[in-house]
Amino acid sequence: MSRKREDKLVAIVDDDDSVRGTLQELLRSAGFPSKGFESAEAFLGSGHQQETACLITDIRMPGMSGLELQARLNAEHCRVPIIFITAHGDEEMRYQALRAGAVEFLPKPFDDEVLVESVRAALDR
Amino acid sequence: MNETVRMKWARRPTPSMLLRYGLAVISVAAALGLSLVFTYFNLPQTFGAFALSAIAITFWYAGTAPGILSAVLSSLVRDYLFETNTSTESRLLFDLVFLVFAFLMTRVARVRNQLELRVAERTVELTQLNDNLKREIAKHNQVEAELRLSEAYLAEAQRLSHTGSWAWSPPPGDIRYWSEECYRVQGFDPKGGLPRFEEFLLRVHPDDQARIAEVIERAVREKEEFEFDYRIIHPGGEIRDARSVGHPILSPSGDLVEFVGTIIDVTDRRQAEKERERLHEAQADLAHVSRMTTMGELTASLAHEVNQPITAVVNGASTCIRWLTRNDPDLGEAREAASGVIRNAKRAADIINRIRSISKKGESKRQIVDVNELIGEMIALLRNEANRHSISIRTDLDKELPKVMADSVQVQQVMMNLIMNSIDAMKDVDRTRELALRSRRGEDKYLMISVTDSGVGLPLEQANQIFDAFFTTKSHGLGMGLRISRSIVESHGGRLWAADNSPYGASFYFTLPIPEREERAKPSDAHTNV
Repeated sequence: MSRKREDKLVAIVDDDDSVRGTLQELLRSAGFPSKGFESAEAFLGSGHQQETACLITDIRMPGMSGLELQARLNAEHCRVPIIFITAHGDEEMRYQALRAGAVEFLPKPFDDEVLVESVRAALDR
Repeated sequence: MNETVRMKWARRPTPSMLLRYGLAVISVAAALGLSLVFTYFNLPQTFGAFALSAIAITFWYAGTAPGILSAVLSSLVRDYLFETNTSTESRLLFDLVFLVFAFLMTRVARVRNQLELRVAERTVELTQLNDNLKREIAKHNQVEAELRLSEAYLAEAQRLSHTGSWAWSPPPGDIRYWSEECYRVQGFDPKGGLPRFEEFLLRVHPDDQARIAEVIERAVREKEEFEFDYRIIHPGGEIRDARSVGHPILSPSGDLVEFVGTIIDVTDRRQAEKERERLHEAQADLAHVSRMTTMGELTASLAHEVNQPITAVVNGASTCIRWLTRNDPDLGEAREAASGVIRNAKRAADIINRIRSISKKGESKRQIVDVNELIGEMIALLRNEANRHSISIRTDLDKELPKVMADSVQVQQVMMNLIMNSIDAMKDVDRTRELALRSRRGEDKYLMISVTDSGVGLPLEQANQIFDAFFTTKSHGLGMGLRISRSIVESHGGRLWAADNSPYGASFYFTLPIPEREERAKPSDAHTNV
């Protein structure tokens, strides 16, 4: 029915090279191939959003923020599961993100098991 | 001298001829008259005695020729009026007596004249001596008056400058001279006379006594100049700071005779120095508080800035464990992940160090700094704050910018303040938000750093007001930032100013002087966009 888990794309949007890079490495060690984008605009402009099975995004970034990206995807009816990772997460932001359909809201730094499980759950949907 | 006196004496006014010869006639007539009176009263005949007196008087007062005349007249009167019946021998004898008497009187008159001349000479000498003496006294008085005036000026100068002068002979000698101000500075009463050196030493603060005794001892031994600072305790208990300088006076044979020198009351000067230091410390404290305030505003950004590499570290470590705990562990991948951990941990440490260095409070330390490097570090700290407000940062740095002597923390504080202001000015505007940082070698041996934003801009009337203390347009903050920044830049010898940009935004510029050594390096127009 759905594609094999390995073929599904995980997209990572974070403006910090080292966070983005290490996150890709982490997912690779867990067996999930991923693609990194340094900004929400770069992700939107890549044309990959339709094939993305799971989106991991930072919230605060130069230009479009993670929450704005979520709103944009919702507006485009692109129902990709979103995992937010942020260093500035407050309850209000968390509530807003989850209400808009986010599958997870993780403060940085996060537990790799929780993230990997969230990604796995997102891909299995 | 004596010749003039003699000539003057010779030309002295003398009685007229008539008077002189008249005296001869009158005196002889008087003698005759007296003798006739004697005869009338049957008293013994004494014309001879009267005649001799008349001759003597005439010689004395009228001179030689009238004297001789009086002698001749006396002889004739005697011969023809009194001794008409005496023998020729007797008459001749009398005439001889008159003649001898006249001759003697001539001698007497001459001696008298010589005496008078001597007296006149002596008088002239004495008069001259007296005049000289008067002149000497007048001169002496004038010199003394001048000396007094000069001493008064000196005393006034000493009083004004709190500088006393002194002379001191080393043992077995003692203090030889203290000026009035010297007494005042040391807290001694001039009426009490010169104190002994030991008495002076007893007034010196106990903590300084041994030291100055040693300095003086060495100066005496080496016959060299000395200089020392000490505290002296006045009788009222007041402690004054003083500085003494002494210079050795040597005899022609090279032996030490005495020391002469000055003593200055430097209490007020010390006080002023301490005040300046305190002010300096207060400024440093204020700058630190201001820095801390800004850092406080940045807490969220700085936490994020540190959190990023820590997140990367945790990711890397997790990845490493995953490679190691797989069914078929992959050591190569694990090693790769572990190196990433190290790299990111170092990055986190760098950021913390940067924050710590700008947060630390310490003495102002000037060192050679690369302004471009400071700008780079500042951007690393503030990039996230800019990101938060969707502000992009552009840099345009002169690659061959000369290094400057500066306190890097303070210069970064200025940059941080200007950048934060720019961010504040842009966070509510709807156009492109861009912050531009430039460094240039400016004219006149200065380099110039500018911070330009596309924010709300600067009303003309506020362009200078913004540097006043407590002036602020913000809802937060004390309004001290620009004030402190300007004082930091000025203390480095530079300037800080602001300008409104066309069509929008504001620019802040500050300059720092290029040290001479760096200035000789070739200026360059090479710039780079980072």
